[in-house]
Amino acid sequence: MSTSRRDFFRSLGGGALVASLATAEGAAAQVFHHVLPARSIAPTNQKWVMVIDLAKCDGCGKCTKACNAMHFVPPMQQWIRVYEVLENPEAGPYYMARPCMHCDNPPCVRGCPVGATFKRTDGLVMMDQDRCIGCRNCIAQCPYGARSFNWSEPPHTPEELSHKYSMEEGWPHRKGVVEKCDFCPDMLRAGKLTACADACTMGAVYCGDEYEDAVTNSKGETIQLSQVTKKGAGFRLLEELGTEPRVYYLPPVNRKYAAPGEPKSS
Amino acid sequence: MSSDREANLLRVLTHTSWRFYTCFGMLSAVALWGLYGYILQLRHGLIVTGMRDQISWGLYISNFVFFTGISYGGTLISAILRVTDSGWRHPITRLSEAITVFALCVGGPMVIIDLGRPDRMGYLFIHGRIQSAILWDVIAVSTYLAGCALYLYLPMIPDLALLSEMKELAPWRRKLYRTLAFGWSDSAAERHLLEKCISRMAILMIMLAVSVHTVVSWIFAMTLRPGWNSSIFGPYFVMGAIYSGTAAVVLSMYILLRVLHLEDYLKPVHFRNLGLLLVTFALLYLYFTINEYLTSVYKVEAPDRVLLHQLFFGDYAVMMWVTQAMFIAVPLLMIAGVLALKRLRRFTPSVVALASVLIVLGAGAKRYLIVVPTLTAPFLPKTNRGDIPFNPPLPFDWVHYRPTWVEWSITLGGSAAFLLMYMLFTKLFPMVSIWETRHDEAQVEPAVAPTPQPAPQRLGSIATTTIVLIACLLLGAGHARADQKRQAKQPEATTLSMEWKQVATPPPTNDGAEQAQPSAGEGSGVDRFYGRLFGWLPVESKDHTESLPPTFVVTATLRGAKGQPLAYQVVGLSLKTSFGKLDYGSRPTDAEGKAEFSLQDRRYGQYPVEGTYDGGAEFAAAQAVTSVDFGPRPEPSLPSQGVLITPYATAWIGLPFLGFFGLVWLVFIYIGVYLLWFRLPQVRKQQTKAT
Repeated sequence: MSTSRRDFFRSLGGGALVASLATAEGAAAQVFHHVLPARSIAPTNQKWVMVIDLAKCDGCGKCTKACNAMHFVPPMQQWIRVYEVLENPEAGPYYMARPCMHCDNPPCVRGCPVGATFKRTDGLVMMDQDRCIGCRNCIAQCPYGARSFNWSEPPHTPEELSHKYSMEEGWPHRKGVVEKCDFCPDMLRAGKLTACADACTMGAVYCGDEYEDAVTNSKGETIQLSQVTKKGAGFRLLEELGTEPRVYYLPPVNRKYAAPGEPKSS
Repeated sequence: MSSDREANLLRVLTHTSWRFYTCFGMLSAVALWGLYGYILQLRHGLIVTGMRDQISWGLYISNFVFFTGISYGGTLISAILRVTDSGWRHPITRLSEAITVFALCVGGPMVIIDLGRPDRMGYLFIHGRIQSAILWDVIAVSTYLAGCALYLYLPMIPDLALLSEMKELAPWRRKLYRTLAFGWSDSAAERHLLEKCISRMAILMIMLAVSVHTVVSWIFAMTLRPGWNSSIFGPYFVMGAIYSGTAAVVLSMYILLRVLHLEDYLKPVHFRNLGLLLVTFALLYLYFTINEYLTSVYKVEAPDRVLLHQLFFGDYAVMMWVTQAMFIAVPLLMIAGVLALKRLRRFTPSVVALASVLIVLGAGAKRYLIVVPTLTAPFLPKTNRGDIPFNPPLPFDWVHYRPTWVEWSITLGGSAAFLLMYMLFTKLFPMVSIWETRHDEAQVEPAVAPTPQPAPQRLGSIATTTIVLIACLLLGAGHARADQKRQAKQPEATTLSMEWKQVATPPPTNDGAEQAQPSAGEGSGVDRFYGRLFGWLPVESKDHTESLPPTFVVTATLRGAKGQPLAYQVVGLSLKTSFGKLDYGSRPTDAEGKAEFSLQDRRYGQYPVEGTYDGGAEFAAAQAVTSVDFGPRPEPSLPSQGVLITPYATAWIGLPFLGFFGLVWLVFIYIGVYLLWFRLPQVRKQQTKAT
């Protein structure tokens, strides 16, 4: 009578052993964490980074327009959004462009149940619309509001549809998945600036490779990342949340444009 | 008397009145209407809902929380009362367990309805990441559903055997009952075994119930949003779930009492005892609510301010205050009044049932108030203020949420489906456990109001902090290569030659005592190992002086046509990057014609560094390029600051989850397969042999 129970537990234990071996494989991958799956490894070894100089951003919105055009961003979405910020009534308002922060401690990646959004070795938070199940937990997780959802089938153009879907470009778009800024990695690798940085006539958006310690804007001005963040008191958005964004902002001091509401100077 | 009330109880299984058909037809129509809404949503996408980018979770998610909450009462009431061995529980266990199963059958799919791509649901199993709270929910709710179904089924076995003997029933039904009854012969040994199964399940179900609703709360509490980012959410949700679940039990008791005339089973004492429980739960919930809001109202942090304003004075104020009254205050007063005042005591069942209606409706509203207002108060809103060219503010309905008719239809359809399942259940199975009530005496035990244990928060704070030294650079030999350029004859030709070397980085000048401790980084080897094991690596020190990058000195030497060094000439230096040229400014040459540039940058890889001499009237311009090797780039890896972001299962969070729910599944298998499938026939055989 008791032996049958023991046998039963023995077979249960066998099943548990198999299950724990499967888990141990995951644990091993954890220890040797440089052994990453292919999709997590970027084609080249860079760490992309962006610097936005708030003293230069005049809120013209050309970055948004260029990004929307290049990525065929569906209506009502803006992958890079320009905000008018008023920290307190006494402070002057300033403009702030907000792309995806590509955080080094990304809450969206942590929360994704299927790994549709994942961190890549080049520092980018990728979004795989072939895998997204549309649970929108990442939207709930993102403190920057950088993510949007395709609530309906987005309007298509023939040009968009003729393209094969690529995670790096993010289109053609489809219904029921989450979208966000992808930092144009295909262009960066080719040595070209992202759509938003390229379109910024004020030269407020710089992008580059952290390993080069230099970022460049549309005017060809190259600044040293470590110096500019240190001496220019560069900050990151909502630093206190510990998301470790890869987008640095330079404070809006000595603005190079007429502040909102001020008469435009020539 | 016993057989009389049993006949009354079983009459519903054989006799179906026109009222049943009417109700059934109406509810089916509502459910089908909900189905139509869902088909519409499948075709057009979630655009048919009121949800948009700003408020991306709405009624569906709050329904999910509501129905899992309702599902609670059932199991918890029946399991806690079973564990505490309260005799008065017998007539109400079955009907409350049925609520649990059917509420979960409706609540679980609410999440699927909320998905943008339900066709990819299987990815949860193929590509599931245990680090995600969504996956925890999937595991927890499915485990809970399986457990509840088993827990509903187990105490029903003797009744099924009884029913299979009923001659009034159609042959197919008797066959169904006989199959489900496992050949139950109602012997003492079988009963003993079954009691064992049930009591073990009861203990397990209490644990499971508390953990499941805590996990449900974690899809909110694991975010960085003001209003959800709260450690009290686990117990708060568990409490709300028990409270609303108990109310649902009372409600179904009252309906069954009126419709099936179960006065012989459901006595005023049941309403009184459950009313006492409800009073206790209401007070506890009040306590949690005060705790939740007072702590943020007292401080009014900037991100909380918007939310609190919305809740207490803004768009949601009316709903908020009505809900608080409906969910806590009014039911509390009603039940307390009817239980305390002798004159009103005879109204107990109706008043407690009425209060339960308020509680169930209030629970739905409260869930909505937990889910939606928080999403209206993010750190960064989806829309900008002011008018920015190309960036007009989003339309009103893109930043405000109002459930559409489709969402209401699906919600009502889901509720109708719940009622339908419950009605069909009453037609197929007896709503009161016959074998347990049969041996009951008329005596009524005093009410026990068990206080549920708040679920412990499992996340401990991780306190280790170590320093990771990332810069360990190798020096490659590089040869300075001079590049000569002929100029016009008038000015004297010059040559610029360049060389570079790496020098020791000067130690930081101030408070170096603390920073001159590289051993802090070296001693962290074990910590680093554990950090990797647990998918959590210590954050790199923010103090940049601690890991100063190496210094490279680039020397540009300017010479004239005869090789003489040119002093006091301005030489510039720039470095070519992928996107442009990094300018290092310019320096005058010294007496030896040398200009020294000291580069202390966080840079990796090999870069062409260009020295330029612009020349002048006397000397011609010159340029030289040398390739400076700043050391190899670090190996490609994921950022060490990232917590739980690896594509692999992270052990420290995965193992406890899989361990706990795996253990629960093992017990299910032990009870459902071993004890029921294996032991029960054995026991029966031994019993028959003995007799």
